Amino acid sequence: MTSAPLALIIFAAGAVAGSLGALLGLGGGVFLVPFLNLGLGFPFGVAAAISLTTVIATSSSVSAARAGKQLINMKLGMLLEVATAGGSLLGGVTAQLVAQSTLQRLFGVLSALVAVIMLSRLRRRNVILDPTVDPGVLGGRYHEAESGGVVTYRVKRLPVAIGASFLAGSVSSLLGIGGGFIKVPVLNAWCGIPLRAAAATSAFMIGVTATAGAVIYYGHGQLVPALAAAAILGVQLGSWGGMRFGAAASVKWLKVLMAVVLFVISVMMLARGIR
Amino acid sequence: MSGTLDRGAALPGAQGGDPQPLEVVVGLVLRAGVTLSSACLAVGVVLSMFGASAAAADILLHVGVIVLLATPVARVVASIVQYVGGRDWPFAALTAIVLLELMASVVAALVFNKRL
Repeated sequence: MTSAPLALIIFAAGAVAGSLGALLGLGGGVFLVPFLNLGLGFPFGVAAAISLTTVIATSSSVSAARAGKQLINMKLGMLLEVATAGGSLLGGVTAQLVAQSTLQRLFGVLSALVAVIMLSRLRRRNVILDPTVDPGVLGGRYHEAESGGVVTYRVKRLPVAIGASFLAGSVSSLLGIGGGFIKVPVLNAWCGIPLRAAAATSAFMIGVTATAGAVIYYGHGQLVPALAAAAILGVQLGSWGGMRFGAAASVKWLKVLMAVVLFVISVMMLARGIR
Repeated sequence: MSGTLDRGAALPGAQGGDPQPLEVVVGLVLRAGVTLSSACLAVGVVLSMFGASAAAADILLHVGVIVLLATPVARVVASIVQYVGGRDWPFAALTAIVLLELMASVVAALVFNKRL
């Protein structure tokens, strides 16, 4: 049975990951997997499985709180979910057949790559300021509290969004993360979607994405319910706190913080995977 | 997708106005699933740490995890119902594909399950 101290450590780690995740528009898995795998020494598959369940919980509670505020682009989300769930299925099966060190190296490479993308596009906003612009079937508009204005956007380069979503879905199940750290920069940088809408839509999608993967880990017996429970409850608490603070934080500051954290994770994962 | 011109013309106004029914339904499903699952997990984790009944704790923890895994599936099903109700066939079809993919992962889980 699970010892009380271990459950409390995982609960606390979940709370930290959840609050960071909510602040950055991620599921929090990108922090939790390295902590469980490198910090506490769980096998990568067990860490990934726990993390995927916290991604589902965060996605569900965050999206429930945001529903009705138009920040989530549901139509775009449902369309891209076809790609993320398909990728997730592929990644979930592949994860059962690949060595742990391979997954660690992949984790390291991808997190560094995304950190570079984030830093290189720090000042882009991708906003159509005229509120009368027709956003089209897949575009959207929402009220932004910071500027007090209505933000309207159209979706550009849909095939790029679909490709990135498939990749994000595969990586999600392989590595136990939400995949937001691939989708959000791509949707923001290349597809014309404002960061907040991209993050909210990604957070909405990753629940379904992570489920396709988590179910496979559960079937394989790698999902330990007691450990997952401690992590989920911690992440729920943390993301609740992060959400309250997140609306007031600046987008640029968030991007820089995200990039720094990803670099650190990258180095640690590569060091372990190559050894 | 541009086949329904009359609905397309009504879109910009509808998007800027009241919350759409789909968002409300999806929000309710997600909240209900997470609340039920978290309650099971919280009681289960407390029982497993301090309680005497390991079997009850184990059942609650598994139920909590299964309810959590079922929550996004329920959200997808609710979306299909909403899209069919609104006669939005392209999106009903897309969402149905997502449901099929989730079912395929259940099949993959059963294949990997060594206890079967």
